[in-house]
Amino acid sequence: MQLNTASAVIRFATEVEEKSAKFYDDCAKRHREIAETFLSFVRENKKNVTFVKRAYYGVISDALEACFSFEGLKTDEFLFKAEFDEKAHLSDILEMSLQMEDKIQKFYQKAGESSEKLLADVPRALKKIADKRKERKNELASLLDEIR
Amino acid sequence: MGSERLKNFINGEWVDSESTEYGEVRNPARDTLLCHVPMSTKAEVDRAVQAAKNAFPEWRNTPPVSRARCLHRLRELLEENFDELSRVQTTEHGKTIDESRGETRRGIEMVEVATGIPSLMLGYNLEDIATDIDEYCIYQPLGVFGHLAPFNFPFMVPLWYLPFAIATGNTFITKPSPRDPMSQVELFKLLDDAGIPPGVVNLVHGAADVANYLLDHPDIKGITFVGSTAVGKLIYKKCGETGKRVIAQCGAKNYLVILPDVDLDSAIPSLMTSFFGNTGQRCLSGANAVVVGDSDTFYKRFVDEFVEAASKIRVGDGLDETVQMGPLQTLESKKRVIGFIEKGIEAGAELLLDGRELNLVGDVPETCFLNPTVFGNVTPSMTIGKEEIFGPVANIMRAGDLEETIEMIHSNPYGNAASIYTSSGKLARKFQHDVMCGNIGVNIGIVAPMAFFPFGGMKDSFFGTLHGQGRDAIRFFTESKVVIQRWF
Repeated sequence: MQLNTASAVIRFATEVEEKSAKFYDDCAKRHREIAETFLSFVRENKKNVTFVKRAYYGVISDALEACFSFEGLKTDEFLFKAEFDEKAHLSDILEMSLQMEDKIQKFYQKAGESSEKLLADVPRALKKIADKRKERKNELASLLDEIR
Repeated sequence: MGSERLKNFINGEWVDSESTEYGEVRNPARDTLLCHVPMSTKAEVDRAVQAAKNAFPEWRNTPPVSRARCLHRLRELLEENFDELSRVQTTEHGKTIDESRGETRRGIEMVEVATGIPSLMLGYNLEDIATDIDEYCIYQPLGVFGHLAPFNFPFMVPLWYLPFAIATGNTFITKPSPRDPMSQVELFKLLDDAGIPPGVVNLVHGAADVANYLLDHPDIKGITFVGSTAVGKLIYKKCGETGKRVIAQCGAKNYLVILPDVDLDSAIPSLMTSFFGNTGQRCLSGANAVVVGDSDTFYKRFVDEFVEAASKIRVGDGLDETVQMGPLQTLESKKRVIGFIEKGIEAGAELLLDGRELNLVGDVPETCFLNPTVFGNVTPSMTIGKEEIFGPVANIMRAGDLEETIEMIHSNPYGNAASIYTSSGKLARKFQHDVMCGNIGVNIGIVAPMAFFPFGGMKDSFFGTLHGQGRDAIRFFTESKVVIQRWF
């Protein structure tokens, strides 16, 4: 599916955050030794939804190019798997998390860049979340290194 | 819902109309009946005016801070109901959900600005205009104001006036467009919930008859109107005859001027919004794109990119978040736009993209839909080049230089908005200085002033003196009174 309007991008961002939050929630239940890390991701995901929606609803205007700002974004590029097998080892889950975060970061980065000249606060919010996702990737990579 | 009959809101009560005449409110994207709207009677208008008149003395004596608090409560309620209000607009009008949310946001901005009334309504004074004599100026409300709303922004446009009118201590009657009155009903529910006293705000449904009753009523002090120039002229005349203040914001034929030094990649989405946003049904829409200069290469590049972008616009039900342009608001509107397209072809304009060839997203009836249309080789004298189409039709013109372009703009009787797309500050400054339009854009497609700036056009696009919004609105809704004082 193409994401060519601001509302479609915000909806997709919400879905991505909710889907990945559920994944981390499941991870926390399964691996209590690092549950707090996963739960902090869940909390941050919720904040991200609020942040990006606040940016969108705060600046949306009949005069801005909300319907024409996101050409070239396709959801297919950013789809990810968010369920793990019962037998999956922590390292497998962390690998999955890294792949998922990579897709999510790319989505936010690309969405932010494609709208930066047109919508004021929305691209800033999207890029800020992309930066957070990058930090999360580093954290996940460190965890993976530790258990290997 | 289809059989529901909308009620009037008079003196703080939702009341059934006594009218036997009702109109249909339809969802243009789905071609379904949404509800019925009454064509209210003269007696109902009289009752609304009487309620507003009765409420005025107490409301004008309510401290501005308290009036502002009512508006603060309204603002909170509007935020709480943001998405529902937006969905109603898309359903009744057809615009995309992004556009409806934009409309809701703009409406809220008006309320936010009006909450500053204790500061905005401040007068001024000067000590010792003569020895021991002081003079000061105060602003006072006038009484009952009426608003005749358009169909193209059913929720937002009444909010250009209502918050400022009641913040300054006046009382108010809105007559929504009978084509899409539902979002005003939702607004008035929230006004009621916000604790605005009975009679301060009133809603009377109807069409031209109700407008005429309001225009003729001796107890109405002023009228605000947004609509066509033909009707605006009549309203201006009538208000003059009956001694009413008037803001009449009318038609447009907006020029968007493209210089060869423009960043075209950035400009194209802005141009798409300007020409095709709200399905071209707004007074700030782009109508004529003028490509300036002798470069055939640049002209061809512009045309190619413009047409390609327009051809990709996804047209369908505005509630589908992937849709970029909704239907025309009625079948009659669509027929009118098709009439213009036919006139363009007859006049010899080059049909670069024919919006009559429908390409719709999803399973929607074709009834009110058109895809974007683009004409090339249009001249200012062609009907499509000079008259307001109010639909998704873009005309591309050429001019040798900026001087010639400005002459073209001035040859048109309208003067609502004009924009220039350029990297040259010098030429942009010349444009904003010379062009006789009320709203000038520099690399901006929709020159919609924020709530704290005045909004109004020039020439045949505006009739009145003070504009809507901002400080102009405060002055419009108040009378200045000067007091000169000496104590013996």
